[in-house]
Amino acid sequence: MLKIWSMKQQQQQQQKEAAASGDGSVKKKVTAAQIRVQKDLTELSLPSTMKTHFPNPDDLLHFNVTIEPDEGMYQGGKFNFSFTINNSFPHEPPKVKCTQKIYHPNIDLEGNVCLNILREDWKPVLNLYVLYDAMCMNAVLVGLQYLFLEPNAADPLNKEAASDLQHNRENFRRNVRNSMNGGYVGHEKFEKVVNA
Amino acid sequence: MKVTINRWNAVSTWHWDHAQEELCGICRVAFEGTCPTCKYPGDDCPLIIGECKHAFHMHCLLKWLTTESSKGLCPMCRRKFKTATD
Repeated sequence: MLKIWSMKQQQQQQQKEAAASGDGSVKKKVTAAQIRVQKDLTELSLPSTMKTHFPNPDDLLHFNVTIEPDEGMYQGGKFNFSFTINNSFPHEPPKVKCTQKIYHPNIDLEGNVCLNILREDWKPVLNLYVLYDAMCMNAVLVGLQYLFLEPNAADPLNKEAASDLQHNRENFRRNVRNSMNGGYVGHEKFEKVVNA
Repeated sequence: MKVTINRWNAVSTWHWDHAQEELCGICRVAFEGTCPTCKYPGDDCPLIIGECKHAFHMHCLLKWLTTESSKGLCPMCRRKFKTATD
């Protein structure tokens, strides 16, 4: 027992010396955010409708997610999102943006996403990925996919789309199909997100 | 047969007296490990348990409570986080 304590003191002593000498041999520190993202990644179990892509495999804090809904009004589309995780993760939510211009009540034309758990309802125990755990049922990616299955008119970022959805569901459905094919809704031209 | 013990080594393990979960929900490291900012487990990186019975590394929870968005709530159940008294 005593030996453990003396070992600890020794280590601390060594650390102090290393810091004092400041010889630049300090190892690049792995941040808490990186550790946590790494853990979330190993627990990753995505449904076939979602894929992750890491442009730089050494950088786990920047990645893209593709969602291809297999039901609902957005079925057949392929939607791309960029995830940016800063070093305050998991105390701050990941920043999620849609990289396409799409017609959706909860996503504005710049790609900002309105999803409660990415904003006011974020909490650090939320998993980045699907964790079938009672506490984590609102995991970020499930929430994101849910937006395409059940667009929500009550909490809009794109007010025109939300009002269409609320007042004329058929018209909204037509607008969704139109926009996904790269057509116009009103004066806005949208990006084609369906495969040719 | 007589056995003479020349040398022996004692080995022991320890764990926190908190049986419900094994991992800190915030950093997802075992309670018996350390939070990401600590080097040595045990008394240097203790647990904190709320009235709601949810436990975290103390450092992880305090960091969460200092963020504005936490509103002082438990990250698990969103009830006001108050440290359990017993």
